Amino acid sequence: MTDETQAPAVPASTPPYLAADDVGLVTPQDFVTPRAFTFKNGQELTGLTLRYETYGTLNATRDNAVLICHALSGNHHAAGWHTPADKKPGWWNNLIGPGKAVDTRRFFVICANVPGGCSGSTGPSSLNPATGEAYGLRFPALTILDMVRAQKLLLEHLGVAELHTVIGGSMGGMTAMLFAIEFPRFTRRLLAMATTAREGAQAIAFNEVGRQAIMQDPAWLNGDYARDGGPRVGLAIARMMAHITYLSDASMDRKFGRRTIQSREQSPQLRAELAQQPAPADFNLQFEVESYLRHQGQTFINRFDANSYLYITRALDQFDLDHAYGSLENAFAPVLAESLVVGFTSDWLFPPEQNRQIAQALLRAGKRASYAELATDLGHDSFLLESEELYALIRGFLERAPAPTLDFAI
Amino acid sequence: MTQPVEKRTVDMQIIGDWVEPHTRVLDLGCGRGELLDYLVQTKHVSALGVDLDFEKITACVQRGVPAYQGDMIACMASFPARHFDRVICSRTVQELDSPASVIAEALRVARSVTVGFVNHGFWKNRLDLLVRGRKARNAVYTTAWAESRPANPVSVADFEDFCAAEGIRITRRAHLLGDWKTPCPALPNLLAGYALYDLTR
Repeated sequence: MTDETQAPAVPASTPPYLAADDVGLVTPQDFVTPRAFTFKNGQELTGLTLRYETYGTLNATRDNAVLICHALSGNHHAAGWHTPADKKPGWWNNLIGPGKAVDTRRFFVICANVPGGCSGSTGPSSLNPATGEAYGLRFPALTILDMVRAQKLLLEHLGVAELHTVIGGSMGGMTAMLFAIEFPRFTRRLLAMATTAREGAQAIAFNEVGRQAIMQDPAWLNGDYARDGGPRVGLAIARMMAHITYLSDASMDRKFGRRTIQSREQSPQLRAELAQQPAPADFNLQFEVESYLRHQGQTFINRFDANSYLYITRALDQFDLDHAYGSLENAFAPVLAESLVVGFTSDWLFPPEQNRQIAQALLRAGKRASYAELATDLGHDSFLLESEELYALIRGFLERAPAPTLDFAI
Repeated sequence: MTQPVEKRTVDMQIIGDWVEPHTRVLDLGCGRGELLDYLVQTKHVSALGVDLDFEKITACVQRGVPAYQGDMIACMASFPARHFDRVICSRTVQELDSPASVIAEALRVARSVTVGFVNHGFWKNRLDLLVRGRKARNAVYTTAWAESRPANPVSVADFEDFCAAEGIRITRRAHLLGDWKTPCPALPNLLAGYALYDLTR
């Protein structure tokens, strides 16, 4: 997802974290798996840590938990603010809060950074206690299933008896689906958005370009770079490229058009940057969209680890429910959750058709499933859209009384 | 003039009588899911609706009726033969691009298909055109030309001819007068305002 999905729309008088529908200031917490965690590939890791946040309160019957699953570059900070000085709230703050579509007065909302990540959960940049050095490429190969199993341990630790709903977009949608498949009795509702049951060749191709940008950077050093160094150029290029896949032609043209940076008021920072540019001038920064992407790349390298990027994109590439379970219907056969799949018309990374296929397979497998498709022109990142229509759908799905339990098999 | 809401209820009651309990029902053009909700409540069916509109799907999700947003033929094509017990195509058949393909596909994915439509052969419709020289506007067709959706009108006689030509067996009929309540005693192509058919191969 992009770094610009949350524009702080803040009235000067009230700090946004004090708004009535905001979860307010939140503090991330750490959960350390009590036993060694075994990855899908058989490798074990002791002291696997998941950093997470919760909003709202677990009820007495411990069944009002909503798990939020983040996308490739997301993290546990889904809602609220860490400090009053934060420029931006959590990445899905528009959706989660008191009275919002995911109502924290009603639900106990949990979001964890995935294992392999770099926002506090154990990942390639974490220190291996056995050696005192970062894991680097010695970190176990990662799959979406590992993310699901690790988060299940966290939910047990938090005392969650069953998930009211698991929600995710993009990679989060894969995680959410796998929750419903692997822990059917634990998962009562599934909401998957802008996702796919099978990472296709185009998506793998984009991931590969990103990985090559990182691995071809001389500073990558086979993953053994210093904490404050690393393949910053490669990671920034990977992010710039990936960022394009989250947008759309229409939304980029609306935002930037062919505007040039010469046509706007230049900040001292930009003037300095322009002054440093190497000749020939023809290939200097010209268009707004270039400036925007460079900014995205620079922001990203300050918050994301290159090896995590390699591991998580590889986990995405490996995701293929058809292959893993023989067929998509087989994959969904154990699901007991009621499902809602949402596609977005302008999403060309995980297009509507791939979301539709998920809903169709759930229905063929005799499950209660709905498919909705929102007309937007914002591309893949549409699932983060501030849209009353989308909120109404999500709220309707979450807050409706549970369906009577029936046997839907013929 | 009978209100559309009441008419919808009449439609629902007849279809409700035809639907067997605990069966799988697909409703083409499900709208806000009222009919399926009624069938879930009264017949405990396993329901699925199809509609083109996001807001309608939201309404279905809000009332707990599973619904699929998209083209009805493409939706049916994703199911194996006889996946459903019944497909319902009520009050939508005259608005379809290709009614024959929809009915053929419905007869593939379900054992029986319920089709309901306003009868274009209704005597007042004939009078409107013949005498007044205007688009039919009466108890059956309530809206003016400019407020009407594109329609491919069908009469009782057209529909029965179609079924005969396609080798589709009509297992049940219901013909109602212009009030959509009173059963039509005779001459349905002339006197019926609304017709419901239960079809099978």
